[in-house]
Amino acid sequence: MRFIKNIQKSIETLRQHPALCIQNNYFTYQDFETQIKKIRQAIINTTDASNKLIGLITNDDLQTYASIIALWLEGKAYVPVNPETPLDRNIQIFELTNISIVLDSSKTSIYKEFQVINTSNLTEQHPNLTPSNCNGQDLAYILFTSGSTGVPKGVPITFNNVQALVDAIDAEPTFNLMHTDKCLQMFELTFDFSVVTYLFPILSGACMYTIPKGAIKYFYIFKLIKEKKLTVLTMVPSIINYLRPYFKEINEPSVRYCSFGGGALHADIAKEWSNCLPNGKIFNYYGPTEFTVYSGFYPYHKDTHTKAYNGIIAIGTPQKDTIYSVVDENNKQVEVGEIGELCLSGPQITPGYWQNEERNRLSFFIREEQGIPIRYYKTGDLCIKDKDGDYLYVGRADFQVKIRGYRVELAEIEFHARTINPLKVNVVALDVYNSLGNAEIALAIESEPYDTTNMIAYMKQKLPSYMIPMHLKFFKEFPHSINGKIDRKILRNQFEIK
Amino acid sequence: MAKLTEKSLETNLKLNNIMNREDILTKVTNAFSRVLGHRNFKLTDATTAEDVDGWESITHMMIISEIEATFQIKFKLMDLMNMNSVGDLLDSIASELHLKEL
Repeated sequence: MRFIKNIQKSIETLRQHPALCIQNNYFTYQDFETQIKKIRQAIINTTDASNKLIGLITNDDLQTYASIIALWLEGKAYVPVNPETPLDRNIQIFELTNISIVLDSSKTSIYKEFQVINTSNLTEQHPNLTPSNCNGQDLAYILFTSGSTGVPKGVPITFNNVQALVDAIDAEPTFNLMHTDKCLQMFELTFDFSVVTYLFPILSGACMYTIPKGAIKYFYIFKLIKEKKLTVLTMVPSIINYLRPYFKEINEPSVRYCSFGGGALHADIAKEWSNCLPNGKIFNYYGPTEFTVYSGFYPYHKDTHTKAYNGIIAIGTPQKDTIYSVVDENNKQVEVGEIGELCLSGPQITPGYWQNEERNRLSFFIREEQGIPIRYYKTGDLCIKDKDGDYLYVGRADFQVKIRGYRVELAEIEFHARTINPLKVNVVALDVYNSLGNAEIALAIESEPYDTTNMIAYMKQKLPSYMIPMHLKFFKEFPHSINGKIDRKILRNQFEIK
Repeated sequence: MAKLTEKSLETNLKLNNIMNREDILTKVTNAFSRVLGHRNFKLTDATTAEDVDGWESITHMMIISEIEATFQIKFKLMDLMNMNSVGDLLDSIASELHLKEL
């Protein structure tokens, strides 16, 4: 596998260079190499060829990152669980994947029913970092997301999938990491966005800066940018939503790249944030876990590239070897300019949800194109392809609701509510159900209470009556999931409708 | 220059009369319990997020805005990023109140 060989090369050429900064402690690539060799030897001593999937407890330390690389050198996959997640759920994930061996750097491991390799306490070292022969169809990792039925949904990603991601990013001339770069790694390793924030710095010999588990994320990130002069940021948009009241105090010329993903990037905040990074290039990335992190991006620029739909920045074009297709209910491609569900095809597509044939039948389809069967993943995201070939993000397919028989895009309601609001607060439109089982529009506003007469009057001018919110509620802070996305389910439950 | 120092000393005294550290702590404790929805904590200068149930990234942002509203102050980002304990928080409030009085 080329990318694993390149990881070896990168580590061996930059031994004296810093690889990781964790809680203000620097570790060089040589420190990293030593840890990888120790863990690799322990894996060889403990496992056999049948142990392809190994559990990983994602602590914020050198051993945890080294474990991923050590497993890859041996052609094995990591199945990460967050130590802060309830133990029952983590054990459920290990049981779903038939895990018997767990890598854990914790002083005392609570995973007693598994064979635990304590990665902090190893002495014997493997002689080298030369990758063993691995099959590209073998798995590199499995990540679990919440499933609608209550059982976590596993997304397996192969070595070939990861190689295709690396090839696509390498083919992009406007994004080039250097070994002198200082990169933010703010993601929990159970979140798929983390793959790009550790893999690309390692491949270029750059240094990554992590966020300690107990830290106040938003301010810690700013502190790192400011004090360490970070050059590459990869973030979810909710981070800058929280920092927004302080934008006037932020001016960080060291930042070269700022990539967003994992949520809608709003045009107004993108513009303001752009002013905080005078030398920063902003990328709006798109991609689901099922397609190995990224599938494409839009190169945002506050003056020249501001394409948006309902105030949400465009997701641009597919990257190398990826095909986008916007389809209707029958998986038939719709015309340019029409709304449909975005489907993805190409070498980054997952082989399918882990042992979940029912879900696989719903989320994937095969379409014959010029005599060749092409497999597509249905993202659940509604998009429009415009006449320039750019893709515009419209909203989630499941955010498209029917009110009194009319199709309604919740993002459109949010857009108008946000436009009229002088305080530029965050709003979320939701479909809530009354006692008759009819959907009604509710609007959650992240603010101290204020008089909404003007806002409603404005919305009545812009929207048909069935799109005017019937329920309003103020929230001091919106609830967020562990990955920083607004938790709409919790918000929806806050509305008591009679 | 001497005059300025005198004035700030005077303000300090005035401020100490209006709101001493104890008063600030009481108001801060109330702000914490309003946001976190419980009172199962005792705040001291050395208290950090690890010691208080529910005090994490998101609730911290809520606590900060609650405190800003309570004291009618606005923290600086530089102060917020170096705030590691309740003691740091109280110092920042005192210094913002002081600036407001000047």
